[in-house]
Amino acid sequence: MSRKLIIRSAIPAVLIIVAAFAFAIFEPIQVLPRIRLSPGFLLVDQDAQSLTSEDVRGDIVLYTFGYTGCGELCDTLNATMREVQTRLDEVDIADDVGIRFVSISFDPEADTPEVLDAYATSVGADGEQWAFATAEPDHLANVVKAGFKTYYEENDEGTFSFDPAFVLVDGWGVVRGEYRYQTNASDADKILHHLDILGEEIRNAHGAAGLAYEAAHFFLCYP
Amino acid sequence: MTTRLKRILLAGGVAFLGVVFAWYFVLPRLQPHVFSGSVIQSNERAPRVDLQASNGETVRLSDFDDEVIVLYFGYTFCPDVCPTTLTKLADAVGILGDKADDVQVIMVSLDPERDTPEMLAEYVEHFHPDFMGVTGDPAAVNRVATVYGVYYEKEEGTAATGYLINHTATVMVVDKDGFLKLVLPFEGTAEQMADDIDFFL
Repeated sequence: MSRKLIIRSAIPAVLIIVAAFAFAIFEPIQVLPRIRLSPGFLLVDQDAQSLTSEDVRGDIVLYTFGYTGCGELCDTLNATMREVQTRLDEVDIADDVGIRFVSISFDPEADTPEVLDAYATSVGADGEQWAFATAEPDHLANVVKAGFKTYYEENDEGTFSFDPAFVLVDGWGVVRGEYRYQTNASDADKILHHLDILGEEIRNAHGAAGLAYEAAHFFLCYP
Repeated sequence: MTTRLKRILLAGGVAFLGVVFAWYFVLPRLQPHVFSGSVIQSNERAPRVDLQASNGETVRLSDFDDEVIVLYFGYTFCPDVCPTTLTKLADAVGILGDKADDVQVIMVSLDPERDTPEMLAEYVEHFHPDFMGVTGDPAAVNRVATVYGVYYEKEEGTAATGYLINHTATVMVVDKDGFLKLVLPFEGTAEQMADDIDFFL
């Protein structure tokens, strides 16, 4: 083989390698990581209806955790939930994918459906798109602690210590975002930005675009 | 035939063979694997299972070093969903042939009150002799099912069947290094399941 031929055949190979590096460095496509499986659950909502992980399959869900007696900390969490809900028109998700909000209470003893219903109304949750729910204590611990990796512990006076958190789960039941630490950027801004990225990925899930998005996962093009 | 024509024919023939070779052998290998199930890229190891097999021993995922573990959650009284999935999994194992030596299918019972370890073993082995069934006390089963994304709930049945259990019917695939990699939907075919599991072998 002549030298010329070798050089000529090497060019496409070099181009492919350069393209792969460029993809990894410049991240033309961003995706949210697939962090872990979201837990399976059987909750009871503010209407005393069961709310299960199968009911929300296919929808993007933003979860947060708290209890009605928690006061200021939960006010902040509720404000963020409400802000994301009211600003949903800023993000572009596929038409057939719903977005839901679920606030899980870890105080089933005090937070009966009636209490949750009154609380939901007081914080501006509609009970449809944004639900409040709880479960029996053992299952709740499995769901929130083991499943959503969110710490809470009951104190003596009927109050709870807990780490405030939001968890974003996609329609396949995979955790795609966790927001646990207060940073300068508002949680609502971050969550809306991530919803936008997720919507982009869902709309491009098929064909050649789908492969490009899988490549983005492969190259860890995470925001 | 002129030399020129001969050369053109020869070049054409070689080019044709090259295209055929590329089409059948190179392109399929260049194409990334497209999974029928949904992929998970967790950097955490798959949650512990630690339930009991029919011989009374505790089964841990780490017992299956160098094997791909296929986890399914069901119960022996299950009227249609579980037999369908277990049949598909048995077919998938058949499709994988010798490679299936490195695959362990485990069914976790969602009905620890009725499924004894012996019943469970008999049930899963009916689908494939290498399948394994595990169970434990209800609290342990709830913990495992929940972290594997499985919802389940008792439901009224007929007098003949007793209660039924409504449950998530997905199949989880844990790779040889102990990471949960894939969730296969109930609707998948045996071929699709075999194809996806094969990727991790």
